[in-house]
Amino acid sequence: MARKILHLDLDAFYCAVEEQRNPGLHGKPFAVGGRPDQRGVVASCSYAARKFGVHSAMPMAQAMRRCPNLIVVPGNHRAYSRVSGQVMARLHNLTPLVEQLSIDEAFLDVSDLPDSPENIARALQADIRRELGLPCSIGAAGNKLVAKIANNIGKASAQVRPGQTPNAITVVPPGQEAEFLAPLPVRELWGVGPKTAEKLESLGLHTIGDVAGWPESDLIRRFGKHGADLSRRAKGVDNRPVITEHEAKSVSQERTFATDISGGTQLRRTLRSLCEMTGRRLRKRGLSGTTVRLKIRWADFTTLTRQTTLGHPTNLDAEIYAAALELFNNVWPEGKRVRLLGVGVSHFESPGRQLSLWDSGPPPDAPLQKTLDDIRERFGSNAVKRGSQLEQDDE
Amino acid sequence: MKVSCLQENLAKGLSIVGRAVASRSTLPVLSNVLLATDGDRLKLSANNFELGINCWVGAKIEQEGAITIPARLLADFVNSLPPERIDMELDESTQTLHLRCARFESNIKGIDAQEFPVVASASDSDVAIKLDPESLRLMIKQVVFAAATDESRPVFTGVLLQFDADKLTMAAADGFRLSVRSAVLNQNVADTLEDAGLAGNGAKAPSLIIPARALTELARVSGEQEEPIDLIVTSGRRQILFHLQDIELVSQLIEGDFPDYNRIIPKGYSTRSVLDTANFLKAVKISHLFARDSANIVRLEISPSGDELMNGRITLVATSAELGDNVAEIDASIEGDSMEVAFNAKYLIDVLSIIDSPQFALETSTSSSPGVFRSIGDENFTHVIMPMHIQTR
Repeated sequence: MARKILHLDLDAFYCAVEEQRNPGLHGKPFAVGGRPDQRGVVASCSYAARKFGVHSAMPMAQAMRRCPNLIVVPGNHRAYSRVSGQVMARLHNLTPLVEQLSIDEAFLDVSDLPDSPENIARALQADIRRELGLPCSIGAAGNKLVAKIANNIGKASAQVRPGQTPNAITVVPPGQEAEFLAPLPVRELWGVGPKTAEKLESLGLHTIGDVAGWPESDLIRRFGKHGADLSRRAKGVDNRPVITEHEAKSVSQERTFATDISGGTQLRRTLRSLCEMTGRRLRKRGLSGTTVRLKIRWADFTTLTRQTTLGHPTNLDAEIYAAALELFNNVWPEGKRVRLLGVGVSHFESPGRQLSLWDSGPPPDAPLQKTLDDIRERFGSNAVKRGSQLEQDDE
Repeated sequence: MKVSCLQENLAKGLSIVGRAVASRSTLPVLSNVLLATDGDRLKLSANNFELGINCWVGAKIEQEGAITIPARLLADFVNSLPPERIDMELDESTQTLHLRCARFESNIKGIDAQEFPVVASASDSDVAIKLDPESLRLMIKQVVFAAATDESRPVFTGVLLQFDADKLTMAAADGFRLSVRSAVLNQNVADTLEDAGLAGNGAKAPSLIIPARALTELARVSGEQEEPIDLIVTSGRRQILFHLQDIELVSQLIEGDFPDYNRIIPKGYSTRSVLDTANFLKAVKISHLFARDSANIVRLEISPSGDELMNGRITLVATSAELGDNVAEIDASIEGDSMEVAFNAKYLIDVLSIIDSPQFALETSTSSSPGVFRSIGDENFTHVIMPMHIQTR
């Protein structure tokens, strides 16, 4: 049976939240991010600002040059994650099969709903607009690959008038996946970065259709296993299921800094709070993992991941942090600028714990951790925090 | 140097010293094996600084000399040769060893023997403790597997040897289990130890910590020997030397204090189960198939029958969220209370594999206190395993 997959993406999400907080920003060119004199970077910008050629990840100083009237709004991640949680809750009301990709993006598998994908998408978009006051765009297709590309294309080609957002809905009917992809440039395809694109173009393959028509065996010969994936994707074939958090193989948290950070104290403090968030999510779901992974992205966008295996599965903040910190200390040269930090725990095992011969008793942190979790559950994540986190909030 | 020996002898000698060859070393000569004439024999030596082995093989010496040769190449080459005589001749000027056997001939480039770090050798003045090889091999087998493989606490990568009058005790532990085995020596070694500078420290019996790897090698190379093995502590107490027939094994000692293991061994129990060793091992191995996916957890439900004439039983339960589950039942004679305790199946398999009595006793108290394993009919062996704590969600 053909699947019905939706890809939902909130339009200029940070900006939409900021507009709610300050309606005076409506229709104005503004950007969320770090201040230009602090070498800030655009994290998100309003559609009015995009008209001037401002886009995310652009240095704020450059954005100011392109758009001198640009209003710079400092980011408020706590507000974004709260609103994101409300959106995701709406999606879960529709179907349990939700795969959250990031703070403002998710896949939904709505195959079991009787309505047409287009109607489901319209209703969902209207619901999020009405209840939460947020604009979003939706792509619908028979698989994740095509739904996402459809949404990207729909958003990009929408005519956005001043003070408005794309609100695009793009549906690719079943059986027309390959036809839809064919005219698009190869770069739109997942797994095609600048290098692969260059290689493909040197073969004269400019569109996804060109790749789909090229012999698979030749792609495999040139690109190895990746070649087979390329050929399959170019034909619009993608059998990956929507993976709900419940089935996820890892739990992770990451943070992109508004400005690249080079201070060890702040990086380690961020690392600790990422570990705490990861630990809390693990405990909430009754999971323990044996592998701790650190993700770090430098100012030039190169990204490293390093992982370590613990002797036993854990979900305790202190143990996750100890492992992540060791990885961090090994990979981070003092003073190097960091754009993103992430922490993940995977390889879940039943949370049995081998007791130690030399210092008996259950892990001393466990009862404390449970109490802290209970307090945060009742009174919010900020009800209890470390002394070291207080300073950060003053900044 | 000009030497001849039989292929079988040389191959065997190279395999004995082989484990002491450094696999990855910044010092190239440590990847080599030393060949040196010594009286009417050929001496082979390998040394990785932690462990050194000398081995002598019968040879016909025509001209004295010494050279070091890449160990891996030499061993692979000699192992491939037919069982005939090998003639070796060193070209001093190029430090190249010429080998000829049957219709094979080769030249192997060596490194000057002067660069090879000497492996200590026993001398007649050394004070030795004589150990029965069979009993030593049993002790090593029953203890060495419990030593830690990770280096986070170096003393746990070693085996503790404690001497007390005519008794030797070996103990090894990692963070989660402890194995202790003692044996009676044929002599009172108190005076010998004093002479060797190994007097006890106040109330504490004289003790050494030997790397577990060295003892594993000792058990391996002493395979066929029936004569006593001499244990010699070199002056300065930094090395220990085991002298066998035609073989010497020298190991660094591990510095540090081994924790007092006696305080780990519970003094009492609330439940004691006597089981058939082979049956229980089989049941645990089956449980392990299901447990290895979930941290190796095997739950033991210990149920006394409540009737002296009837057997009790132990039920082993292993569950894997993805694969399924397994339940095994074993008869046991159980005294005390019924209880539940979970262990790492791998640790159970390790200890059950080295208990050589047909029956063993498992003494338990609570689900979070150590389980004690004893051989029935052999009081000299004690093994302790910490249970696994199963979190309740």
